[in-house]
Amino acid sequence: MATVNPILDNTYDDADERSPLILGGLDYAGVTDEVCGIWEADKPPKIWFVVLGAAISLLMVLGGCVGHLLMDGVGVWGNNNPAYWGWPIVNFVFWVGIGHAGTLISAILFLFRQNWRTSINRAAEAMTIFAVVCAGLFPGVHIGRVWVFYWLFPIPTEHLAMWPNFRSPLLWDVFAVSTYATVSILFWYMGMVPDIATFRDRCTTKIGKFVYGLLSLGWTGSARAWHRYEIAYTILAALATPLVLSVHTIVSFDFAVSQVPGWHTTIFPPYFVAGAIFSGFAMVVTLLVPVRKLYGLENLITIRHLENMNKIIMATGMMVGTAYGIEFFIAWYSGVPYESYAFYNRAFGNYWWAYWIMVSCNVMIPQVFWIKWCRTTPWFMVIICVFVNIGMWFERFVITITSLCRDFVPSSWAYFHPTWVDILMLVGSFGLFFTLFTLFCRFLPVIAMAEVKGIMPRPKDH
Amino acid sequence: MAEENTNSSTDENSKLIGLVAQFDDPDSLVQACDQARQAGYTKTDAFSPFPVHGIDPALGIKRTILPFIVLGIAVGAVFIGLGMQWYTNGGSLGEFSTDESPVFPGYRFKISGKPYFSLPANIPVTFEVIVLSSAFATFFGMWFLNKLPMLSNPLHRISRFKRATNDKFFLMIEQADEQFDRGSTEAQLNQWGAVSIDECRRDLTDNNLPSWLRLFALMGAILLLLPPVAIFRAMGMTSRAPRLHVVPDMDWQDKSKTQTLSPIMMNDRYLFADERVMRAPVDGSVARGQLDADTELYEGIKSDYVPTVSMTTPQGSVRTGLGTQDEAEAAPPVEDVSMYVTEFPKEITVDEALVQRGQIRFNIYCAACHGYAANGDGLVNQRAIALAGIGKAQWTSAKSLHDATVSNAEKNPLGRIFETISKGRGTMGPYGAQIPTADRWAIVAYVKALQETGIKPVLAVSEEDKSGESEASDANATATTPEDKTRPTP
Repeated sequence: MATVNPILDNTYDDADERSPLILGGLDYAGVTDEVCGIWEADKPPKIWFVVLGAAISLLMVLGGCVGHLLMDGVGVWGNNNPAYWGWPIVNFVFWVGIGHAGTLISAILFLFRQNWRTSINRAAEAMTIFAVVCAGLFPGVHIGRVWVFYWLFPIPTEHLAMWPNFRSPLLWDVFAVSTYATVSILFWYMGMVPDIATFRDRCTTKIGKFVYGLLSLGWTGSARAWHRYEIAYTILAALATPLVLSVHTIVSFDFAVSQVPGWHTTIFPPYFVAGAIFSGFAMVVTLLVPVRKLYGLENLITIRHLENMNKIIMATGMMVGTAYGIEFFIAWYSGVPYESYAFYNRAFGNYWWAYWIMVSCNVMIPQVFWIKWCRTTPWFMVIICVFVNIGMWFERFVITITSLCRDFVPSSWAYFHPTWVDILMLVGSFGLFFTLFTLFCRFLPVIAMAEVKGIMPRPKDH
Repeated sequence: MAEENTNSSTDENSKLIGLVAQFDDPDSLVQACDQARQAGYTKTDAFSPFPVHGIDPALGIKRTILPFIVLGIAVGAVFIGLGMQWYTNGGSLGEFSTDESPVFPGYRFKISGKPYFSLPANIPVTFEVIVLSSAFATFFGMWFLNKLPMLSNPLHRISRFKRATNDKFFLMIEQADEQFDRGSTEAQLNQWGAVSIDECRRDLTDNNLPSWLRLFALMGAILLLLPPVAIFRAMGMTSRAPRLHVVPDMDWQDKSKTQTLSPIMMNDRYLFADERVMRAPVDGSVARGQLDADTELYEGIKSDYVPTVSMTTPQGSVRTGLGTQDEAEAAPPVEDVSMYVTEFPKEITVDEALVQRGQIRFNIYCAACHGYAANGDGLVNQRAIALAGIGKAQWTSAKSLHDATVSNAEKNPLGRIFETISKGRGTMGPYGAQIPTADRWAIVAYVKALQETGIKPVLAVSEEDKSGESEASDANATATTPEDKTRPTP
């Protein structure tokens, strides 16, 4: 380890030199030691077991709910006339939205040469994949007969003897989400191979050597391999960038292509994408602040990283707020009575409470990030980010439920009531998410070591 | 400090692959690479924990062709993505249709009158197919070009080399290089600033897989083949055994089907005396809106009529459609025409609106056979007669309603026309289930109106003018019979 760097606060911008992204005077070996230390420790911290235990308990609740659902059918949910799309799609869109930050950080910030992404992209990508797993669960079990899930895909089966309808947004969704999950996993794994090779070379146990040896594919860090690897990484980033925008666009088509007042608007794609980035970044902050504290990664995930993310949260939060405003304007400007009523009803109808939770959490609360103390104080930003995710869940709830419960025909109006299965499945999906994330923290490189080393100043420059 | 190693390049146990020199920082590695290239070495490689900038020109690495591979795959994916959607959903351009394809026939959805294939609706899936294929091409193409995975590499046997993924930088000059010379190369590496030099040796004694591994791999491969073989076998043969029911309560639902025995048993006896699943209404009960005791309105039969035993019941006149008119004429039912009403029931108000309603219903239900002018030239009738003419169908011509037997109010009173519509007559089927009572009376009114005119209404004239089948003068002449309109074959 090198000498301790005197700079402790890297959130001030100095016109003369770039603020360092890595603190504590870490050199290459120091970065490796910090990141590998998490995994090389004989025992993880006690709190890790507590979190894993709680997460597995919730996961078992989820498993029980899914089993109950499969045995008894989708009637165990509260979905019923007129709200045939209830909590399952709310949860689906919520999780898919969260799953957008990882690829955004990896791909879009990579293309924009935002070097600060290197400390957070691995954890964010992992979070993306786990969120997409949670998201895929809900439409997966919603199809009723899950054992013939392959009917969703254009696979010739004698049993069904027909093809999917390629003009349906729901089918686009199948393609978009499965492509997104696949590409995210490829991107995540490819980025992780050099770091898994580091694990392989430092591993002392036989099982570890075998598993990490297999996963690292024999990576040696050859310059010829790095050359192709970097180009491949850029291509994947260039592919993932339009992909990440397309996925939530297509998710919004599920709503926007239908005729229901409150859904049938062209603003949905950009509005959904902004919301997805907003909620995804909030989830990254919520996860990384405790991870950073727990594993002592303050030198790698610095306050500057967190501050940058909070700035993005505030920016996207205001985009979402603008979208809320524009929706109201268009509802009035279009002169369509159904549309006007749908939005009046959102704010002042019998779901007013959900609407105002959404507006408070998404538009008002993130405004505190204008104050520097708020966006540089870890415990405080976690609270704000939890509010953001509550708000984003309610956004999907408001869009789905209020529109369906007040559609064209007043005789079919109703009030939606979730069942206990709805509630436990939402809670249980957090169990699935945190189980995967906790295991990831323990067994895989949490920070992209190779990428962090690449943006560090070269030793001779000192 | 260079390591002293006096081993010859090849001995019995191992073969020299190359020399690996360690450097402590990226800049000295780049300089060493540059010097190695200038010294004429071509079979070189550098190893670093992260991509070092400037090493590609220093080592003389050519730009990879990976982007072009990905481009090729992406362009192919455009056609695959669009082609898949066109084939499965929209295969209907010109004469070509995929619907009848022997393998994987297409399946077209008609939705809201939209075209089967329209580019905007097919863009999202095409885009996702492009991205997915390109991502696979990038990922697998990169590993393929890098000749990875390569799990056994002599480099990994050098203990110092383990830091190549941590914080040290290495340059390897391969023994296969023409310039390579054990002693002079090592001296050069030292001169270029190598911190240490190792030999990279391939262990020749440990090349073979353990013998048990081969056996296990073979057995595993065979075992893996069993499930697909079993599936293909099951697909390729017939079986008398019922297929597997994954979730039985969907295949065998807890319900009773119509016209079956009741499953409800009590003391080994059927709970219901008639043993049926279906329950008849309680005697004398009438379902809401189903009271049809008024025979004048609902059957066209006088309310004060008392049937005699010898009379043919109205039900007897319903035929299955297989009988011919000859048969009906051969044994004409003894009919008491006096039982039918001769006036419209009091619930029906005969006015222009009723006749117009009758026209609409007549054109929907009756004109297909009887023709718009009711002279028996409906398209179905024409076609069926044509088919009957070449022996492909058995058909009794639909009657012209201007025929004396139909239009005669004595022989065919209003009630009888109503009954004909409701219950059918001869080979004509019953329409009572399809047409509500009031509409049937409306049709009766319209039929009577047609018969009053006696000639073709304007509608029929214009129809024939459009078809251009007959001369204009012919069309203006007297009513044509079905036989006149019959053409030999289509």
